[in-house]
Formats: sequence, C-alpha cells, structure tokens
Amino acid sequence: MRAAYILPAIFVLGAVVVSSMFIVDERKKALVMQFGQVKQVVSEPGLGFKIPFIQEVVTYEDRILGLPTQPIEVTPADDRRLVVDAFARWRITDLQQFREAVGVGGEDAARSRLDRIINAAIREVMGGVPSTAVLSEDRTALMNRIRDMARKEAANLGVEVIDVRLTRTDLPEQNLDATFARMRAERQREAADEIARGNEAAQRVRAAADRERVEVTSEARKNAEVIRGEADGERNKIYAEAFGRDPEFFAFTRSLTSYERALQSGNSSIVMSPDSTFFDYLGSDKAPEAKPAP
Amino acid sequence: MAGNGGPWGGGSGPDDENRGKDEGRKGGPRRPGEGPQIPEIDELVRKGQEQLRVLMGGRGNRPPSNGGAGGPGPQIFSRQGLALGAMAAAALWAYMSFYTVKPEERSVELFLGEFSAVGNPGLNFAPWPVVKAEIVQVTGERTTEVGAGEAGQMDMGLMLTRDQNIVDIEFQVVWNIEDPAKFLFNLADPEDTIKAVSESAMRDIIARSELAPVLNKDRGRISTDLFAAVQSTLDSYDAGINLVRVNLAKADPPKDVIDAFRQVQAAQQERDKLEKEAEAYANTTTAGARGQAAQLNEEAEAYRAQVINEAQGEASRFLAVYNEYVKAPDVTRKRMYLETMEKVLGGMNKVILDGVEGGQGQGVVPYLPLNELVKPAVPAGGTN
Repeated sequence: MRAAYILPAIFVLGAVVVSSMFIVDERKKALVMQFGQVKQVVSEPGLGFKIPFIQEVVTYEDRILGLPTQPIEVTPADDRRLVVDAFARWRITDLQQFREAVGVGGEDAARSRLDRIINAAIREVMGGVPSTAVLSEDRTALMNRIRDMARKEAANLGVEVIDVRLTRTDLPEQNLDATFARMRAERQREAADEIARGNEAAQRVRAAADRERVEVTSEARKNAEVIRGEADGERNKIYAEAFGRDPEFFAFTRSLTSYERALQSGNSSIVMSPDSTFFDYLGSDKAPEAKPAP
Repeated sequence: MAGNGGPWGGGSGPDDENRGKDEGRKGGPRRPGEGPQIPEIDELVRKGQEQLRVLMGGRGNRPPSNGGAGGPGPQIFSRQGLALGAMAAAALWAYMSFYTVKPEERSVELFLGEFSAVGNPGLNFAPWPVVKAEIVQVTGERTTEVGAGEAGQMDMGLMLTRDQNIVDIEFQVVWNIEDPAKFLFNLADPEDTIKAVSESAMRDIIARSELAPVLNKDRGRISTDLFAAVQSTLDSYDAGINLVRVNLAKADPPKDVIDAFRQVQAAQQERDKLEKEAEAYANTTTAGARGQAAQLNEEAEAYRAQVINEAQGEASRFLAVYNEYVKAPDVTRKRMYLETMEKVLGGMNKVILDGVEGGQGQGVVPYLPLNELVKPAVPAGGTN
C-alpha cells in the first residue's frame, strides 16, 4: 500500500533538509565544494546553507595553530655553529588560496611546507649575523626578521605567520664537552686565584705582625738600657757624694773590706816582717816609735 | 512543541485535513460514468490521511463508511500513550537543555556553532540542540613545567648565556583562565603554546645575561621579567589566559661542571681560613711583643731600684761609720785595722822573717818554694 511509503518519504525529505544545512563552529571555518570547485567560503560561525548532496562542506581550523620546528644546525657569520629551533604561530587567513595551495593535504601538508619555509628563513637570517648577536638584545630583532621573511613566503599559502619565536639557540652536542671543559677550567682558575689571594693577604698580615713585634721589643730594650744607665749613674752619684766626704777614710775602710774578702783562709800565704804595724806590740810592750804614715 | 519532531519537521496537519475534506466533497457527487474507480482513489486518499493524522495528532477520526477499517490501531498510538510519550520527551529535552556550572567553572554557549554567551555559575539554560554549552574550569590553577626531562644527551633545561656558558634551568608557569571564550576560540593548543612561549622567553632572558648573575643574584629579576614577557605575549594572541606566578625551581650550573663550581666555593672558604689564621698569628705575636716589652721594662726598673737601694744602703752605712769615726778617729782606725787583720792573717799561712830589709846582709835569704805553693803567688813580705 502506498501509505507505507509515506514514512520513508518523510525520512528522505528530512535527510534532504538536513543535508542542505550545516553548522560552522566558532573554532572553524569551512569551504563549500561542488565537484572539487570552491563555491562558498564560510568564515563566520553559525548556520549555513548549501545544495544538498551535490555540495559538500570541508572544515578547517580557524584558531591560531602552533608549529614547533625541528632543531636545525645553522652556521652564523662567525662560523660558530648553533643548534636552533623555533615555535611559529600561524593561522589560515585566505581559505580559498589555502585550499588551492595544499589541496586535500589540508593542515598536515601546510605544516610541512611552513616548516620548510621557516627553516629556510632561519638559516638565511642566522647566516648573516655573528653568533654573539643571537645571545644579546638583538635576539628580538632577529626573530622579527625571520618572521617577516616567513610571512612573505607563507602568504602564497593563504596563511598568516603571526610570529616566529626562537626557542633553543644552543651549541651542538659535540661542542658541549668542549664548553664544559672550558667552564671547568675557568672555575679552576678562579679557585686557584682565590687561594693565591688568601695566601697573599695572610703573608702580609704575618709580616706586619713580625715587624711590629721587633719594633716593640727593640724599643723596650732601648728603654731598659736607658733606665739601667740612669740607675748606674744615680748609684755612682750616691757613692761619690757619700765617699767624697773623706776619701782617705773611704780608702781605708774599703781596703779593709777588700782584704777580708780577697785573702780567704786556706788560699793565701804571706811572708811578713815583724816591722808591720800589726806586730807593734809583738816584741815589747812599749808604744812603738812613731812611724811615718804608710 | 514536543510532538512536532524538530524545527525542520513540517507540521502541516491542519492543511491536510482541509484538503482531505475538499476532496471528499469532490468525490461526493458521483458521476455515473466513473463509478467504482473514483471511490477507490477517494478511499485510499482518505485512509492515508487518516493514518497521518493518527500518527501526528492522535485526532484520528474514524472514517464514516468504514465500520472498523481504521481499527482501534496499535496501543502505543492511543491518546494517553502519546501524552505520556510527549511528557517523557519534554523531560528528556529539559534534562539536556538545562545544565549547572560550578563556582570554579564558566560555560561558553554556542548558538548554532556561533559564540553567543558566557554562562555564570548556577543553573543555565541552553535549548538543545540549537545551543551547545561547553564547560571550562576557570579558576583552578594549572601548571606547565619547562626544562625538566632529557632529550638525547642533553638535559632539556640547558640554556646558553651571553658569555657562551651553559646553565641548567627548570621552572614552572602557573596559570588559569581569564576569559573562557577567548581561551576556547583563539588558540588551538593553549598548553603547548604556553610552554613554547615560556621556554622561548626564558631562553631569551638567559641569552642576554651572563653566567654569574644568573647563578647568584638575579633569580628574582628573572622570574619577574619572565612573568611580564609571557603574559604580554599571551595577551597579544588574545589567549584569555592569566598568569598566576612563575616558580624558578632551578638555576644551576650543568651537572657535568657543578663540581668545579663547588671547588670555587671551597677555595673561597680556604681563603677565608688563611686570612683568619694570619690574623690570629698577628694578634698572638703583637700581644707577645707587648708582653715582652713590659717585662723588659719591669726588669730594668727592678735593676734600677736594686742598684740604687744598694748604693744608698752602702752609702748610709759608710756615713754612719764615718760619723762615729770623726768623733774618735785614731782609736777607731786602730781598732778597725786590728779587727780586720786578725781575721785576715788568722787564716793564712805565715812566715815571719826578721831583718829581711836592710842593707847589712846578715839575714836569711828567703827561699820560696813557689812550685809548692798551689795558690797564686804572694808578693814577698815586707811592707813599708
């Protein structure tokens, strides 16, 4: 019964209706293709319409995409090789041109082409500057030059290169060991320098201390001698004042003391004449004749 | 609304009904010539419309000529069944159209794919399937690490400085989402972008610095500069990302050379030690010298005191004796002489010879056995 065909007919109608509409997400843009030819470029998100079945919709990423490049070795102007990689940000701007440039390869094809473009730009810009420019304030200027160069090339792809930032700018792995060896040698030099300075300072201090010691002690000795000299002088003065009252009496008493000290018992012999004063009364008990004073 | 089958479905029940009635009327006055065929078509058309009506509106009229052709129909299409189904569908639709947003989240609503609104925390309405909502966690902090890990022989965090030295950096960038719409719609891979931007900015900062400041003093400055650079770059992409902070976890020499750096530190401490030892020596020496000087001084003073005292003692002793002597000189003299000589001569070997002096020669010729006298020679006798 033909009534049974109504349901499928409704479904078919629904399918046709559905097939004539499409939604483009905020994050995407789309092309409406008819037998391989671009009929519509849909850059705004929302609801869109097309001829059902005959036309198909191909969507592309509308957001900013990132492209990290593989590290490449570049030779700057001073021949000090560097390993460089970068991170580029890009987005599809001219969808039709993009499609014409990359065909069905889509984003992947675009990525590999962009990679080549950027690497070429890096090599060219880096080749013209010395490696020290990369390690300085000029880095930003270099990145801008790379970006501008890449931008021009990429415009043919319908793609805008928003920026290219250098990430790694390192020495090649083979040079790592050499750099480490140099760093170690510099540190050793620094360490030796520290110790040498320490020794120098120490020696200065010690020498100054020794000198001071000698100065102080010699001055002290000088003062001591002065004092002793003064003391001796004072002593002589005292003696002279005292003994000077009667020099003869001093000679007398001092001689007696000397005889006592010098002529000890047991170590002296004497041959005497009885004429000595000591023996005045030895021969007789009479007072001796006055003798001239000795 | 529930029973219409979607915005694109055609709801044309009332029209059909009218058409049906018209045709029914047309078919009414039967021309004699066309007899049985027209009623058949008529019948079919009416049956079809009936079924359609039954399907859609549940208002199926039983065709008057047919006692039971339309039949009671399958149970599911009865009035009550359809009402229940409609309510269930409405509930399902409501369930799919209302959604909650938690306080740490926001939602982004897309109307037919186009960004329409941002949903705040609470219950939100997004009629399915016209409006789709995506929920994004906004305030929670996310961390991106840079510099950890290894690639081949090289640690990922090794960076070249301005003076061609290498330093090992590890840091984290902590961020959250400021604008969920921008976050979803502007960057295709925000995490990778943040990591690449951060790494690039850090390498840029290190490439403009020399090694020593990076290792010692500049960590704070590096973190601040990095924060500013990364945030401004992300803003230039309109990424809707907000940086919370930067943690500089490590800024060290590479592990291959770190021993050499430690040696330098050890050498600095050695230098300190040498200097301190010298100072200690200096202090000891000068203190010793001062001590010695004081001692010499004291010794000299002691000598002076001793000498002067002795002299004064002797002098006053002499004066005392002298003062007594002048009172009776001869007696004192004699007495002193005799006292001393008896002591002195008492202990000596004596030989007394008479007449040794003189000219008449009858005396004795003194013979001195000098070699028997062990003690030093004594001058021969006679005085006066």
